[in-house]
Amino acid sequence: MTRLRVFGSLMLALLRELSDENAYQRYLAAKQREHSAEEWRKFSEARLREKYFRPKCC
Amino acid sequence: MPLMTSEPAARSGKLKRFLGHLIWVLVAIVAAFCLAAIALNRGEHINSAWLVLAAVCTYLVGFRFYARFIARRVMALDNQRATPAERLENGHDFEPTNKWILFGHHFAAIAGPGPLVGPVLAAQFGYLPGTLWIIIGAVVGGAVQDFVILFASMRRDGKSLGQMAREEIGKLGGFVALLTVLLIMIILLAVVALVVVNALAGSPWGTFTIAATMPIALFMGWYLRYWRPGKVLECSAIGFVLVLSAIFAGQWVAQSPAWAPVFTLSPLALAFAITLYGFLASALPVWLLLAPRDYLSTFVKLGVIFLLAAGIVFVRPELELPAFTRFTDGNGPIFAGKIFPFCFITIACGAISGFHSLISSGTTPKMITKEWHAWPVGYGAMLLESFVAVMAMIAACVMHPGVYFAVNSPAGIVGGTPAAAVATISSWGFPVSAAEMQQLAHNVGEQTLFYRTGGAPSLALGMAHIFAHSGGGQAVIGFWYHFAIMFEALFILTVIDAGTRVGRFMLQDVLGHVHPALGRTSWMPGVLMTSSAVVLAWGYFLYQGVRDPLGGINSLWPLFGIANQLLAAIALCVATTILIKMHRARYIWITGLPLLWLVTVTFTAAWQKIFSPVPRIGFLAQARQLQAALESGAVTGAKIAETQALIFNARLDAVVCGVFMILVAIILIDSLRIWAGIFAGSRTSQVVEAPFVLSRLTTEEA
Repeated sequence: MTRLRVFGSLMLALLRELSDENAYQRYLAAKQREHSAEEWRKFSEARLREKYFRPKCC
Repeated sequence: MPLMTSEPAARSGKLKRFLGHLIWVLVAIVAAFCLAAIALNRGEHINSAWLVLAAVCTYLVGFRFYARFIARRVMALDNQRATPAERLENGHDFEPTNKWILFGHHFAAIAGPGPLVGPVLAAQFGYLPGTLWIIIGAVVGGAVQDFVILFASMRRDGKSLGQMAREEIGKLGGFVALLTVLLIMIILLAVVALVVVNALAGSPWGTFTIAATMPIALFMGWYLRYWRPGKVLECSAIGFVLVLSAIFAGQWVAQSPAWAPVFTLSPLALAFAITLYGFLASALPVWLLLAPRDYLSTFVKLGVIFLLAAGIVFVRPELELPAFTRFTDGNGPIFAGKIFPFCFITIACGAISGFHSLISSGTTPKMITKEWHAWPVGYGAMLLESFVAVMAMIAACVMHPGVYFAVNSPAGIVGGTPAAAVATISSWGFPVSAAEMQQLAHNVGEQTLFYRTGGAPSLALGMAHIFAHSGGGQAVIGFWYHFAIMFEALFILTVIDAGTRVGRFMLQDVLGHVHPALGRTSWMPGVLMTSSAVVLAWGYFLYQGVRDPLGGINSLWPLFGIANQLLAAIALCVATTILIKMHRARYIWITGLPLLWLVTVTFTAAWQKIFSPVPRIGFLAQARQLQAALESGAVTGAKIAETQALIFNARLDAVVCGVFMILVAIILIDSLRIWAGIFAGSRTSQVVEAPFVLSRLTTEEA
């Protein structure tokens, strides 16, 4: 049961990583800011600019 | 007394070690037995479980012994050494990350449409050549490349392949790497767009579903930016439900006399629509269309791969295609050419892919917490990618061979009518009837399944077969077919929109040296001009593929395979140079042998594609044949202009192929010059790694 819970939390963490939600939390923590629509937009723009500067795998 | 307690402990330790060795010996025996079984089986249908077991056991042995040997002896991974993620942690791109999360992240980044489409096309040789290449190629080639490049980038603060090529080989190497990537991307975007065109042409259900993903993506973009900022998972879940609804609605559209004609598009119309989409996705704000689709596509991709694996394990279907088909002689209807070299360039991403080296030297090295995590992330993720390719091979081979060839063969080879096509395919020894094809098309809600080249429809049929046999049967096969088509198209369109944007940035980077304003990514005239240039470049090759009477895949997929494998050759040149500079010259066979194999395969394939006297293989021979037909007067009227265009295209393909060969030859010669200099003592072998810093993170924290 514990292993199943660990697996579940790992999967959720992976989904949050893939969705950039973890990265956003890290961004807020590093900048010591609170979540707001404006803050998300600022983070998202920088993140996406960087993401789509690199080739995507085939 | 201590002696009394330590003796049983020592005995128990020895027993554990012995059992551990015994388990690995058993795994190795199972791997060898299963590989032998699939290699030696002739004349009887084989169960897909043999392929799954052979692959999994070989991966386990490769991962546990070969990769560990490379990690310990060759790269000397050291958990005491702080990684860039720890030293340069900035809460942004440098971030120590749990190894299993990073594994998933890296796998999601390297998994593209290549390992799904390539094996389906290579199945024309039978299941055996492709399967062996996928398993062995990944263990000794692809995974090694990904692992060594990840290691090299990690030791160099996350530098890119181009930067490493510039530093380790020379300025020319860096420039050539950049140019090669740009050219490969143009061919890649054209060929994957062609796969989508061939999957959706004449299919109102599929076209409606994919068209519906555009407004869904726009809705998701608005939702994320203005309504619920930051709620990506929630938004993607809503997007997924909407896409599933679109698949159900697609069935109604396909049956509606009013709406079906609106969504029944010709290949040419679809090619224009996809080209326009690529332009819009490149020029519009990234949050509006590209990013929401990308999030959704990533989740759907991982979910479907997991579902397919579960379906194959649950159903364990029999493979209907033989180990070898008659097309090992080079006369295959899907693409022309013999097993060597064409099987090895057709399956690129499932065995070894140059593009992976760009990911291994991208985000991943900046997120590794401990050096030893590169072992599962770099090597292990490629093994999983290889397993995806094995699943694609299984999905292709569960179809009756006659059906497989009827779906994948172009009209120019098998004949322009269903009657002619089934007669030709049956004469090859793969019986199939027009009624059988009609029934199958009806079952999956399509008007016809003939001439659906490109691999996507046959993969969707195979997946639908596996899913339907997992539960629901024929009643749900239409849904699963269109679900699989949606998955493939969504996946591929994400590669197209992101690739076009990246191509635009690369072009702007180069043009910025000529005129600084063109390099500014916010200057709209520059954005529009460079977006148009990239879209027109791959759009032209797509148009060429759509107009090709041989189906386009015959010329474009080998070109893409050659290009991708040549990029892998560049990555392996960099990796070998680094090993030599690390004074690990006695281990250069680890990267040197895959490099030698790739150079042999790709240069042979490229040479044959340019100079083979067989018109279906050699571009120049094809151009000569068409020219002769033109001069003899056999071509008349409206066909004259079309034939002239085909001649130009064949010559253009030959030039592109030649350019790839020259670019890689330059890097290869440059590398050989450096290696010779180091061995002769005329050149210093200085490693340009970041200095050693003691890690403060404990293994538990990692």
